[in-house]
This record gives sequence, C-alpha cells and structure tokens, in this order.
Amino acid sequence: MTSPVSSGRRPYMRPMQGWWRRNTFYLEYMIHEATALFVAAYALVLLVGLVRLSQGQAAWDGWLQALRSPLSIVFHVITLVAISYHTWTWFNIMPRTLPPILLKGKRLSEAAITHSGLAAAVIVSLILLGLVWSLWA
Amino acid sequence: MEVYEADVAIVGAGGAGLRAAIAVAEADPALRIALISKVYPMRSHTVAAEGGSAAVTRPDDSLEYHFNDTVGGGDWLCEQDVVEYFVAHCPKEMVQLEHWGCPWSRKPDGHVNMRAFGGMKVERTWFAADKTGFHMLHTLFQTSIKYPSIRRFDEHFCVDLVTADGRVQGVVTIEIRTGQFTLIKSRAVIIATGGAGRVFRENTNGGIVTGDGMALAYRHGVALRDMEFVQYHPTCMPGAGLLFTEACRGEGGLLLNKDGYRYLQDYGLGPAEDKPRNKAMELGPRDRLSQAFWYEQKKGRTLDGPHGTYVQLDMRHLGETRLRECLPQIYEMAETFMGIDPAKEPIPVRPAVHYTMGGILVDGHCATPLPGLYAVGECSSVGIHGANRLGSNSLAELCVFGKVAGSEAARFAKSMPTGDTKALLKQATATQQRNEQLVNRSDGSERIATLRKEMAQTMEDGCGIYRLADSMQATCDKLGELRQRFKNVDVEDKSRVWNSNWLAAIELGYQLEVAQAMVYSAINRKESRGAHQRLDGFEQRDDVNYLKHTLAYYDGEGAPRIEYGAVKITKSQPGIRAYGAAGEKAEHDRKAAGH
Amino acid sequence: MTNTENTIMLDVLRYRPEQDAKPLLQTHCVPFSEDMSVLQGLQYIKDYLDGTLSFRWSCRMAICGSCGMMINGKPRLACKTFLRDIYPGRLRVEALAHFPIERDLVIVMDDFIEKLESIKPYIIEKQPRLLSQGEYLQTPAERDLYEQFSSCINCMLCYAACPQYGLNPRFLGPGIIALLHRYNLDSRDSGDDQRMPLVNSEDGVFNCTAVGYCSEVCPKLVAPANAVNVNKANSAKDYFLRFVMPGGGEK
Repeated sequence: MTSPVSSGRRPYMRPMQGWWRRNTFYLEYMIHEATALFVAAYALVLLVGLVRLSQGQAAWDGWLQALRSPLSIVFHVITLVAISYHTWTWFNIMPRTLPPILLKGKRLSEAAITHSGLAAAVIVSLILLGLVWSLWA
Repeated sequence: MEVYEADVAIVGAGGAGLRAAIAVAEADPALRIALISKVYPMRSHTVAAEGGSAAVTRPDDSLEYHFNDTVGGGDWLCEQDVVEYFVAHCPKEMVQLEHWGCPWSRKPDGHVNMRAFGGMKVERTWFAADKTGFHMLHTLFQTSIKYPSIRRFDEHFCVDLVTADGRVQGVVTIEIRTGQFTLIKSRAVIIATGGAGRVFRENTNGGIVTGDGMALAYRHGVALRDMEFVQYHPTCMPGAGLLFTEACRGEGGLLLNKDGYRYLQDYGLGPAEDKPRNKAMELGPRDRLSQAFWYEQKKGRTLDGPHGTYVQLDMRHLGETRLRECLPQIYEMAETFMGIDPAKEPIPVRPAVHYTMGGILVDGHCATPLPGLYAVGECSSVGIHGANRLGSNSLAELCVFGKVAGSEAARFAKSMPTGDTKALLKQATATQQRNEQLVNRSDGSERIATLRKEMAQTMEDGCGIYRLADSMQATCDKLGELRQRFKNVDVEDKSRVWNSNWLAAIELGYQLEVAQAMVYSAINRKESRGAHQRLDGFEQRDDVNYLKHTLAYYDGEGAPRIEYGAVKITKSQPGIRAYGAAGEKAEHDRKAAGH
Repeated sequence: MTNTENTIMLDVLRYRPEQDAKPLLQTHCVPFSEDMSVLQGLQYIKDYLDGTLSFRWSCRMAICGSCGMMINGKPRLACKTFLRDIYPGRLRVEALAHFPIERDLVIVMDDFIEKLESIKPYIIEKQPRLLSQGEYLQTPAERDLYEQFSSCINCMLCYAACPQYGLNPRFLGPGIIALLHRYNLDSRDSGDDQRMPLVNSEDGVFNCTAVGYCSEVCPKLVAPANAVNVNKANSAKDYFLRFVMPGGGEK
C-alpha cells in the first residue's frame, strides 16, 4: 500500500560490484565455474588431435610431438588439476539438483550419490588410462 | 489523512484473523475486506505454536468427552453452550484445513494421525510434526491469497477504533514504513490481535504479543473478561522462555526433579507408570504441572541454573530416531540454543507465561457488547477455556471461531449503512494528533525499556503461579505508578519511516492497561481456581461466591472497575477437578451418580 | 544489565532516510554472555544505547522468519546466531543483501510478497471433495515428498544468498520456487500446469546457475536449490511435450 502523499521513504539499493569477492563461498563458486574453461580447453586440444589424425601420419606425429613440449606438459598438469577439482565439485553439487532417489523406500543420502559418482568417474578414468596405456605399450 | 472504504476490517492476520477473512470472502465475495496487521501475516505468533489442534475423530472418542475434558480443564468457568458448539465444529474445521493443504502428520493408511495431549481423555490432537501452528498459519495465509476480496494492509499498526451511532465503524492505522495515518472505514471490525503474554518477564511469546486489540476494545468500554487467568506452560527454556511443546510429554517425555524422581505423582497426578497415560502424570493439565513445579522449588528439589531453577524433561528413552522424526524442531532447539542432545541428556525446563485465557468479552457469536465490534482468538474470551486452557484447544479455536466471527461480521456489515466519513475523520484526526504528540514531544524523561522491564518484573512477582494479596497489591500500586510515569515516556526516535521506537511506546501503553486489568481481576478473585491459585487464605475453589466471570472495565487513568458476570452451565455441574488415578475414580463416581 | 566485564564490539549499518544520505556504520559496545544471541545484542542497543535502531523480530526461535540479516557478511537469523561464536571478534550487522534498505536493518520485501502471491500457493484440487467426506488420504511417503519444501519460514536468507537474484531482481528466486515446488509435489494438488508458465518464464528457473549458496544458508534445510534445479528438468520436459504434442503434457 503506497500513499499518494509523499513520505520520507528513500529505499537504498546497495551495489552488486565485486559481489563474488565478499564471501569465500562465492569465491570458491567462481573458481569451480572457471574450471569449465579448462574442460573446454582440453576438449579443444582433443579436437585438434582428431583433425590432425585425419590429415595423415605426419600431422598426427606433429601433434603428438607438440604435446610433449614442456609448455604443453605444464598445461596438461594444470588442466588435470582443474578438471579433477571440476569433477569433485560436480559430484558434490549433483545430489542437490536431483529429485529424491528412493532405494527400498529410503532416500539415498547426498553422500551416497556423491561417492558413487566420484567412484564411477575414478573407475572409468582408470579403465581408459589402462586401455590407452596397453595400446601404446 | 487517507481514507479507505471497506466492509469488514480485521485487525490481526494470525490464524484467527486469516480464518475470519476467508470466512467473510466465502460468505459474500462482494464484501471488501481490509486485513490489517502490524507484521507480515506469516510472522504472527500462531506460527510458534507447536503441539497440535484438537478434534474428536476416533470412534472411541465423543463430543461429550471433549466437552467434559474442556469444561473440567477450565475448572468449570466455561460457557458450556459455547463449548458444546466448539467441540462439535472442531472436526469439520480441521478437515477444512486439510483440504486447504495443511500437511497434517499421517498414519500409514493415509488418515490423519493424532497424539495424546494434556488433559484430554482420548487421543484427538491433530498435529503437523511439532510445528502445527507454523503449518496452520502458512496454510491459512497462502489459502487467503485465493480470494481477491481480501485486501491486506501489511505492516499497518492499529492505534484506535472509530465509532458513530453507537457502533464501531472502522479503525485508524499507522503505515509503519511511512508513519502516515489511514482511516479504514468499515461496517464491522473484527479484532484478532492475540494475547498479552509479553507483560510478563519470562514468557514463550514473540515480541508482538502485546495485547493491542484488548487495550483498544477496553478503552472503548468493552470489558476484559477473566484476565486473572494466565497460563504458565510447564516446559519452557530457562531464560529465553522458548516453548518445548506438550507433545514432548505426549510422546512419552518425563519430568524429573533434581533427584531424578517423577515428582508429579506427589501432586495428585499419579500413579507413575511406564507408558504415558492420558490425563495422568506428565499428561495432566498445564496449570497443575506448573503448580507442582512451584512446590518442588519451595521444597528445594529443583536444580539451579544461570536463569533460575529448573527441572528436567527427560526424553532420552525415546531415542534419537523417534525424536528426530516426531519432534524435529524441539531437537533442533535444544541443540542450537542450549547445546543439548535430547537423546543423550535431559533438557532443563521451567514454567513460563504462555497464554492469556481471558480477553475481550464476546458472546458465542464472537460479538462484543459494542455493536459492529467482534473479537476472536487469544485476544477474546469466548468462553471455552475458563480458568485454564487445555493444550490443542487454542489452535482449534482459531478456526472454529474465526469462521464464526467472519460469518457474523459479514452478516452485520451487510445489514448496516456505511458511516459518515466526516464524523469518523474527526475522531481519526484526534487520534493522529494524540499519537503524533507522543513522538514529537521533546520533554520525555522515562526510557521505554525501563518502564517495560519494571512492568514485566512486577507482573512476575504479583501474578505468578501462586499469588498473595500483598504482592498483588504491590503490583497494583506499581502499575499505577508506571502508568503515571508513562505520561513522560521518551520516544528517542523522531523520524517517520519505520519508527519502531514510537510503536514500542504505543505498545507499552497498551500493555500497562492490560496488565492492570489482569492484576485487579486477580486480587479481587478471593478463591483459587484453575490457573489462578492463592496461598493467602483463599486456597480453595469457592463455587458459592466465585462461580462467575470477572469483568474489568476501563476507568481512564485510574484502576479498572471490577464487576462480575454469570457462568453458563448446561450439562456439567462443577465437580472435583481430578487427574491420574483420582481422576478416573472421580469420573467413575460422576457416571454412577448420573451426571 | 550484567555485572560482567565481558563486552563485544558491534558495528551496525544504520540508515535513516530522512536524515542520512546513505547508510553508515555505527559502533556499539554491548555486554557479552555465553548464551546471548545477536538479536539480544541488538535489543540491548535499542533498549539502552540507541532507541532509534530499527529491526524486525518476533518469535526468537527461528520460526517466524522476521530477523534475517547479514551477520559478518553472511545471511543469518539474528535470533539463532550466537555472540559466543564470534566473540572475542567483532560483530558486523547489516540489512539483508540484495534487497533495498528501508531503514537500518529493515529491508523492503514487497518483491518477495508479490512473487509469493503470483505462484498460486494454494491447493488447486484434483477432485473436489466435500468436508463430509473427510480428509484426503495421503500416505507418510506422499507427505515426505513435499514436507521439506513446506518448511520455509519466508526468512529470505536464500534471496540474500543468491547472486543471480542480486544481479536480476526479476528472478523468481529460490524460496518462492521451493514453495511452488511444494504445491506441485503435494498429492492433493493438480496445479502444476498453471504454475509452469512461471517456471518456464524469462524470470524463471533458468536464471539459476547452481551457485547453491541458498541451500547452504537456509535455516530450515528446505533445500531451495534442489527445488529450482529439479524444475529445470520439469520445464524442459514440459517444453518438449508441448512442442511434440500441441496441447500435450497437460493433465
């Protein structure tokens, strides 16, 4: 209910600038969101690899050689750390976005969902690593 | 001043006010409803009620049992015809709430579950976890949004009623965020502003429970009935006074003194058994339990803590799973506020003021003697609680009588012409000037908080669980002094936008007057009945001289004028108010004697 | 007033629109004891130090939802935040973030109320039922589906937590979407379709980027982030069904 007669009201709106720096929760959010860029970057690297593969043996070898450069190694280590963190936070958040999952009439706990997701990610990664290693060796 | 035209104005948007608003809207969608509240509706104190709402449901239950429990619980000071109406309509209202979405706790077969409650013979208390009031309030508020004819005035503080032609024709409010006054004209007014527990020091109530509507009706010549009957809830948090619901005891919680002894068995509520038994031991009525505490304290059998003496509410035997499922809010409260895990340790509890049995005099249709003025809920005295209220009757009251008040006010409003704005505006302007003078003056000398705390302390001293003539007299004198000093109250804040200092001063004015009505009613009732117990020669119930209602009338600056009114007895003649084994025997004897 | 020497420093963001150009910090020294809440600290200031301090409060037991504030930068309920957890540090209290400040610690909450009213927060009956037929049957499992979403006390801490709401106040927001979800999940209700346009809209659930801070700060464990994100799937399903079957997807 607003009065037509003027009142002394003067609601004050505080600025949002720098909002993500005000709180460790927001800071962490921005960091884990930023790791998506590393996922995108790595996908791009793999995409380039695919293209090089289609361009023949020489191109493919050239790409593999580029991946062995010190800069590339550093990039891959950082990307591995970022994507690991991405995976960790992803599965931590996942249960909070899912409808309740009932197992024998009881709700699956957040921890159960997170741990299963992480376990699946680790297992699949190890299988892939093993596969690639055996093919290469 | 802005003028708003309504047909029915409702002051207070808690359970009773919201139910009344819905009732008016359903009675006639053409009626314009002004629903006025000094807080947003979901903040109303109904939200804090925990235990449940009574309604006869089980096949082994009967309206007669509920009636007898209520009238006996009220120590025969109830208007029995009104109680008959009440118990007959509770079930329908609870089903209505369920249809509106209230998340009642359920039995495995999908029917609504019920729990045992103090003073009730058969399980009939419907509950929604341990947050029944919360769920009822939110259900009513959210349902009220369906009705376009309900126009809400959120955060509007009511400062007066306006009358003309011998009837109430509206209210005057302050819009809290602008400090501006509005005259809300209407053809009927329903007051639903809640109780007045904040006049006491230790209480379960929220800050808003300051008796506003009681004072408004009182000042306009309507009697406040049975104000001496103030309920002390036996299990509250020491210090803060926060409520630990009766449902704790309904689920099997025990009260132990410092020797780990279930002391209630010494006070006519025994014998102590392993399982909770209705109307016995921990499921006795609240006044008896609070009184037992008082005696234990006298005997030195209570424990000492930083906030006074206490006893132990032991729920360890219920186990964590059951506690977290049935009493989640209690669990959280104990953990967060007291650092106690109720599954491992008993919870310290002591009595605190919880409910105002008395209130604005109304008949069974919620009508005050002042035409056009209705009252409903804790602010009213419709006659169902008598000298002591049974738990879970109050939430039911909001719905049963909310509907009655709404229907009656709607009927009255339609039969009346709209009033003369000029005459009403004149009164409203006078009210405005009076209230603005309070804030504008610069020569105030008394701090609001000081007066308030002295009031709260003296009420605790004089109107405690047990009362004595000389301490009640001291309180009478003290309140007279405080009312005088209130004339010089200082409102530090001179602004108009959300000036809560100003409103606190106005509320203090209301509280001092309501407190006076309480203590003068108490000192003049020379007997002990229900929640009014004396130790000064008037320890017994005196049906010969005091089977009557106290009526306190406003007398300006002086003390209230005390008169008396008859009690309506229909089916139940005053008997022995007994619980536990003694209660069963008394009931048996009454049956045999054909009462 | 206590005899103890222990005190705590309290910085409060004041704002009196009739005299202050903008909000300013005011410092008070408040007596400290082990069981005092921030609310009690503020009440002490109002009672004895500065009666002009305005704030909303009522129940003191975290059920009315009035006393939401920023306490040391985090959205908390003042009645349920204890000085002992901050002492001997300094306490900073400000009005709830992302809302306009009306006065001192009081925010303008019109937007929240309007949104609450807009989602049809009431039972839209599947089949009409007479009172004489008694209650709808609802099993404990059916009740469990929506109970946590019905526990919202409207304290708006989640709105103060949500940066998307802070950046775009038209966003329906966590708490109100949780309430919408509560009704959709109630076995007695059939209003999903009527509420879907709000879920789908420009100001609906897709404004959420799963920050998750709302669920973190909720004092009643309502898990609003869950309500919002589950409705993203519901919204997508609804869109697809309407696309594939004109008039489809409706009950």
